[in-house]
Amino acid sequence: MAVIETRNLTKIYRVARKAPGWLGSLRHFFRREVQDIVAVRDLTFTIEGGEVVGFLGPNGAGKTTTLKMLTGLIHPTSGEVRVAGFSPWKRETAFLRNISLVMGQKQQLIWDLPALDSLRINAVVYGLEETTFRHRVAELSELLEIQHILNQPVRKLSLGERMKAELLAALLHFPRILFLDEPTLGLDVNAQAAIRQFLRAYNERYGATMILTSHYMADISALCERVILIHQGTVWYDGPLSGLLEKFAPYREIRVEFHQPIARENLQRFGEVERVEGRRAHLIVRRKDVTDVVAQMLRNFPVMDLTIQDPPIEEIIRRVFALPGHSPVP
Amino acid sequence: MKRYLRLLALFWSTSVAQEMEYRLNFLLALLSSLGSAAGGLFGLSLFYRAGHALSGWTYPEAVAVLGVFTLLQAFSRALLFPNLNRIVDHVQYGTLDFILLKPVDSQFWISLRILSPWALPDALMGSLLLMWATWQLKRSFLSLMGALPAILAGILILYGLWFFLASLTIWFVKIYNVTYVLQSFLEAGRFPIGAYPALFRWFFTFVLPVAFLTTVPARQVVGRTAGHVGSLVMAWGLGLLLFAGSRMFWRFALRFYTSASS
Amino acid sequence: MKRWIRTLRTFLGVYYAYMLEYRSEIYLWALAGVFPFILMGVWIRAAESGHFGWEPVRFARYFFAVYLTRQLTVVWVIYEFEETVLKGTLSFYLLQPVPVVLRFLSSHLSERLARLPFMLALTLFFFLLYPRAFWIPDPRHILSFLILVTLAFGLRFLIQYTLSMLAFWTERAASVDEFFFLAYLFLSGMIAPLDVFPEGLRRFLMWTPFPYMLYTPARALMGGTVPWNQVLPVIALWGLFFWGLYRILWTRGLRHYSGMGA
Repeated sequence: MAVIETRNLTKIYRVARKAPGWLGSLRHFFRREVQDIVAVRDLTFTIEGGEVVGFLGPNGAGKTTTLKMLTGLIHPTSGEVRVAGFSPWKRETAFLRNISLVMGQKQQLIWDLPALDSLRINAVVYGLEETTFRHRVAELSELLEIQHILNQPVRKLSLGERMKAELLAALLHFPRILFLDEPTLGLDVNAQAAIRQFLRAYNERYGATMILTSHYMADISALCERVILIHQGTVWYDGPLSGLLEKFAPYREIRVEFHQPIARENLQRFGEVERVEGRRAHLIVRRKDVTDVVAQMLRNFPVMDLTIQDPPIEEIIRRVFALPGHSPVP
Repeated sequence: MKRYLRLLALFWSTSVAQEMEYRLNFLLALLSSLGSAAGGLFGLSLFYRAGHALSGWTYPEAVAVLGVFTLLQAFSRALLFPNLNRIVDHVQYGTLDFILLKPVDSQFWISLRILSPWALPDALMGSLLLMWATWQLKRSFLSLMGALPAILAGILILYGLWFFLASLTIWFVKIYNVTYVLQSFLEAGRFPIGAYPALFRWFFTFVLPVAFLTTVPARQVVGRTAGHVGSLVMAWGLGLLLFAGSRMFWRFALRFYTSASS
Repeated sequence: MKRWIRTLRTFLGVYYAYMLEYRSEIYLWALAGVFPFILMGVWIRAAESGHFGWEPVRFARYFFAVYLTRQLTVVWVIYEFEETVLKGTLSFYLLQPVPVVLRFLSSHLSERLARLPFMLALTLFFFLLYPRAFWIPDPRHILSFLILVTLAFGLRFLIQYTLSMLAFWTERAASVDEFFFLAYLFLSGMIAPLDVFPEGLRRFLMWTPFPYMLYTPARALMGGTVPWNQVLPVIALWGLFFWGLYRILWTRGLRHYSGMGA
């Protein structure tokens, strides 16, 4: 059953345009010049219950605007949106009890008090019984491995611990739909992995629907079977992640370290050489050629270390949109 | 309803617990409250030592006005200042999003989230001034209780005005300090309204209803009750009007908040 | 010397541009300084009784002059300094071959310039509303006023800057200044000209720095004689005292600050 449905969802911001200086202000006062900025245009998609969907797109593509329209923080300019059977912007109590929003850069926990105090407030807000509350805190804190820090003031927690506690606060009422805006932003690699693992487990265990935006490819590839690529406010791609990579990023990045410096010319036949610094080199290679290239390199050069990775999402997206002839999916 | 009461209890106990981390503040608040009461009394005495009675009121009567003023100051320190002046932060840092997504009335949350315990010295000082005035005037303490409805009306009016100005920051983040302007005008409530010239009286009754905040409750305390019922009804009417207005205005303002953020 | 002038000019220019960005905020602060006007109302009415030896118009002029003086001598360096220390920006400033205080002075001076249009508008408005109070001061009185206002600003700035040094040790330095402000509020002539204070208290106060920050400049603008041979030595003595205190606290504070590894 579809949990989220949008049809021709559009958001247009009206922004006042004003010349700088007080003369500009004066002119602006008498004759207001406004400009319409289209943040999101004709977005149409359906998300089924239990799906984990990643929103991708460069900065300012309209990801956050879409997320805010789905949660009801923003009123759409036109088009239709139904989330769990509700019109989000009405923010009815029954709707709000069904959803939760986690924002990587913002926090709702009280800074000077133990996280448990903030959790207690949320329990009352969502009308949880004392026993249910204790039960859920125990269950979630075990999954998140933060039982021991719930009694410490939030300000004394590390960034990763704080994010886990934020997640606990957001999930206390067991929302059926979870919106995550950059949930791993600024965390170190271990903390990122832990958050991912938790989200995956949560999805599997409770069948919650999750919509996620992230800058980190690893977040997307670890969690989302399906991605929606948004650019300039419209959907450019909607489908499985593997399809996106084949379609838009048929490349991988190979980082090698040799025993001695190797000249750029000798590497160029393998692919696009991005950088050579002494004994280190970065190459961009077509996805299907990767195995071949690695084998050849190991055979021909004194390789000390070698890693293969996906280029960062920003990088992929930059490449996608730098190429001419790409247009939105019809 | 029960959920809201439980929530309020939690809100206030957590915010008091949070403030208890900074215990030195209590001493500072106590001293500042003592200082401003002493200054206020000194200011009044400058008129009375020369034989001038403000608005024809005796010194203890004028002290009753100062007492009500101090009580309202305590109220603004306890609730208005810590909550409403933070609306601008909620807008700037986007934490308003969290509040809006909670299945709880957002105006309730925004207005009552924090209770500052440091208003306590002011509340004590205000009560002390009022008690001294009633004792001097040989009035019963029952007359003090009789002023409660008028004080409550004053609180409603004050809240309505403050809330209106503070929620303007949803449009204009730069005028975060507009409530300080309100506060400075409210200083006029230190004196009975009759102590001002006609133009001031008109302004502080019809434009900025300071007269209803302190003079009307003080009249009940000191027993100048001629025509009092009429002004009490007006105060309550105004208070309820402003409160209802604040509810409507908040809903209206939110429409703009939600469309302004990206 | 030339280099200093250039530095100062650049600082003033940059800070002025910065202040212009915050015009609406500054105008609101200026509007929040209405306290003298409120007291003007009470005192005009009180003067009609003839108890105080001053005519109503004289009180009006006095409080108007107090408003001007206050606007020209507003100081908030302690909040700025506190933030600089807490955020660690001070470390950057310390590395630059320019005295740290120059930045704060520049921001205060240029803010005054940004405030000027509002003060002029308010002056116009006031005399339109109360034309009887209008007067054109003698150029000599204006000169005395300007000298005294400069001294008042310097003294107020120096005292608050000295208190700011406490920010090296405590996060609540600003609340210490709030006590100083309470004394300033009631003893500097803000609530009433010192002429209506009890004789003994007035004589005592003339030995403190308070009257020189409001009362003396305001009286000078009204055309009162300035007892220079008392004003200058007292200001100089207090200036020297706080300068010495500032030097001691600054050196020790810096040692403490670097000791914290900031």
